[in-house]
Amino acid sequence: MSAGATVTKGAAPAWAPPRTVVIPVLATLAALGVGVLLITATGTSVPDAIAGFWDGMVGSSFAIGASINRAVALALVGLGFILANRANLTNVGGEGQIAVGGIAATALALHGAAGLPRPLAVGVPLAAGAAAGALWGAVAGGLKVRRRTNEVISTLLLTFVGLLMVYWSVQSENLLRQPMTSAATLPESLELPAATKLPTVLRDPGSPLHIGAFIALAAALAVGLVLARSALGVRLRAVGLNELASRRAGIRDGRLVVLALTVAGALGGLAGAIMLQGELWILTSGFTSGYGFDGLVVGLLSRGSVVAVIAGALFFGFLRSGGLAMEITAGVPAAVVVLIQGLLVVTIAGTAILTDQGRPP
Amino acid sequence: MTGEQVAVFLASSLRLSMPMILAASGEMVSERAGVLNMSLEGMMLTATFAGALGSWATGRPGIGLLCGVAAALVVALVQAVLSVTLRANQLVVGIGFNILALGATTFLYREIFGPLSREVIPGFAKWEVPLVADVPILGPALFRHVGLVYVGFALVLALWAGLRYTAFGLAVDAVGEDPRAADRAGIPVALVRYVAVLIAGLMAGLAGVFISVGDINTFTEGMTNGQGYLALAAVIFGGWVGGRTVAACLLFGTATALQFQLPAMGIAIPTAGLMMLPYVLALLAVAGLVGHHDPPAALTLPYRRGA
Repeated sequence: MSAGATVTKGAAPAWAPPRTVVIPVLATLAALGVGVLLITATGTSVPDAIAGFWDGMVGSSFAIGASINRAVALALVGLGFILANRANLTNVGGEGQIAVGGIAATALALHGAAGLPRPLAVGVPLAAGAAAGALWGAVAGGLKVRRRTNEVISTLLLTFVGLLMVYWSVQSENLLRQPMTSAATLPESLELPAATKLPTVLRDPGSPLHIGAFIALAAALAVGLVLARSALGVRLRAVGLNELASRRAGIRDGRLVVLALTVAGALGGLAGAIMLQGELWILTSGFTSGYGFDGLVVGLLSRGSVVAVIAGALFFGFLRSGGLAMEITAGVPAAVVVLIQGLLVVTIAGTAILTDQGRPP
Repeated sequence: MTGEQVAVFLASSLRLSMPMILAASGEMVSERAGVLNMSLEGMMLTATFAGALGSWATGRPGIGLLCGVAAALVVALVQAVLSVTLRANQLVVGIGFNILALGATTFLYREIFGPLSREVIPGFAKWEVPLVADVPILGPALFRHVGLVYVGFALVLALWAGLRYTAFGLAVDAVGEDPRAADRAGIPVALVRYVAVLIAGLMAGLAGVFISVGDINTFTEGMTNGQGYLALAAVIFGGWVGGRTVAACLLFGTATALQFQLPAMGIAIPTAGLMMLPYVLALLAVAGLVGHHDPPAALTLPYRRGA
């Protein structure tokens, strides 16, 4: 956990510990270098691959919008991660929180919300997604406080339960599966009604950029303020640094743990709702496609800084888009992006010991 | 159910439990020494791919076995360096390895085999155990499997015996419960933990090879599909005790086999519910609602002399 970089703070110490910046940057460059080497090894011309990559990231208003939309989900999960991590909690359940958020948003959008006035038709499913995610986080928090269950294990197990719930929801006609008209009816939900879809931002009909970006920015601002400026932020940090001491100081650490994981879960659930209402519009098995784990990576790499979460989410959002485009145009498997991300986590988590040396106690 | 169906069901339950039994038994040793390998899934996936590749390239499943185990041991060694020597967060590093293994195996698979490959991997032949293979029901259920099943069970028993009756086994529990006291008593904490993680790697490697070379005879992307996580859950559910851990794996494997068996018998049951069952059971277990056991006291805690 980073005690160093809280970037939102006004009076920052004179250019705080550079190692927390230098090592992640070096690790990122090294991981990207490995990526380039692998692309070379496939025999693809590197300029072609990079051209495809670039095109997929920023080549058109569609590419840019899609990349930012991807970043939204990553940022929300990452923000939840750093919030809970301030209390020394590791929420690895983003993927499952996205899953249940997506289910709840789809359920509400298909059953009830579409008839409401426009802001509510969009807002109610979003809120339902956040609530479902919050419940998922709260279970982990409750288990942690009541049963001393490690939250890493519980959030991970809850992830699998959530993912299978999506599968279940789209397999069963009693749940969210579209009516079976023939044997070829796909196991997926109906398309969400137009009224529940997130409005797009630009007039350009080619751009899919939706208001999720503003929701994520608002969430970032809120998390930043809470962490840097509020009593709650101080308490979270106190619990994270020394549970016993903070309990002696009168902080109700149990409540804080549940609260932190609940909020983290809510942000994950909101991410799931935004994915469904923003671009996917149809609930399918496996719609989460690793966004929760990528969001975890973003949160981890940011070392507690809200600005770094946004930057990391944009980086990974564009990376994902570029990887997909590169696969189509240059034939390089997009899995190379996954590989780079894994390498990043291992290097940065593995070298934490170097980064943490010399940081203020 | 006819006798034949019973036999098929039992055989597939055992087959589906086997990777988890292998991986969980190795992981139990590592966890008793205080190191949690969240990377179990990644180790298994790496071995699944390396085993398939070795067997496909040489046409000899035995070479595939060696490749798979070697690859998993490499992952385990790096995991050990990070967890023990560099004292990294074991859970986070492990998840990183799982992402890395998924990316690397998918990438290599697409490059080497092509994305739509249906390449058949040369696999092990089934071995009919003399005398007992023809016993009705039990013969086909238990005694007509690939040799790796029997070798695997022998290794699992050897691990139990090793933990229980050898000096190394005592050392494992000592460094997992109280590394400082173990260090004072002259036990090389880091070495014991390295060996324990490598044992987890060896067993995860066998588990992975079993899936691709021993059982399904092909490779698909993300083939382990959460079985490594289930093995971790089985260790918790089994309360870090060998027999219970294997029983948990058998339970999970049977639940998986039921997904295929029940529809075949015309019983309509939401398969998702059965697939969810192992995770829910594991969740209840970690919540201490079903058979609570305390984990090794130093689990996931790195040890540094003088710290």
